[in-house]
Amino acid sequence: MPQDEHKEGIKGMANPRRYGIERVAYLLMRLSGLGLLAYFIGHIYETSNILRGQVGWNDFMEMISTPEGHIIMSIVIAMCVFHTVNGVRVMLGHGGVGVGKPARPDYPYDPASQNYRHKIGIYSAILLAAVAMMYGLAVMFGE
Amino acid sequence: MKIHYGTALAAVALVAVHILMRLTMNYSESLEYENVLANYKFVPYAIMLELILILLSVHGFNGLRVILLELKQGRIYEKAVSYGCLAAMIGLIAYGSRTIIMINMGLV
Repeated sequence: MPQDEHKEGIKGMANPRRYGIERVAYLLMRLSGLGLLAYFIGHIYETSNILRGQVGWNDFMEMISTPEGHIIMSIVIAMCVFHTVNGVRVMLGHGGVGVGKPARPDYPYDPASQNYRHKIGIYSAILLAAVAMMYGLAVMFGE
Repeated sequence: MKIHYGTALAAVALVAVHILMRLTMNYSESLEYENVLANYKFVPYAIMLELILILLSVHGFNGLRVILLELKQGRIYEKAVSYGCLAAMIGLIAYGSRTIIMINMGLV
């Protein structure tokens, strides 16, 4: 018996193949948001190490200035750029920009708001995130 | 949503300035103790850091609250998530503000 797609829970919600690039953007937006929140909390803790004085600060900087640290930082840059660009797209869409004019729903009932403009926005966000990540890697490893 | 969008737009502008400050000099040089300390002691920059701290805390924990409320619903659960996120937000702002204020006032 085929499983009801509405009863798959988080697994069904997280399936990126079923609902197109919009669902991928939805997932990436939430994952990048959670990742950035985790980084932000870590960053606040990291900067508080300056209260330990120069030795404490230098020790901590030495601990995080590793190739692994730079790779994590570049992932943070990519998440930040994707979250920002896709967030602006979502805000514009919420304000009615680029969602098309209201029209009678006809078969095959394609949602007017999920049009090529917003698809281009999502792909641009992914592309810009990749470029920013490469730039970040070049800055951090280029020294 | 207005709070979420407002904090997002304001944070984008301020975080851009914060990142550009790292690029005004060599990346590792900008993270040296004296440079970071000088940044904190420059009052306009310290005010900007405090604003970023508040904006991102509100935006981040409100976003977390929305994600958690999407996953599960219920009166007690929703209250616990909302108050939990609010408490975490206040805690993070207090912890970050402590660093900014202590350095700015020369207590380090």
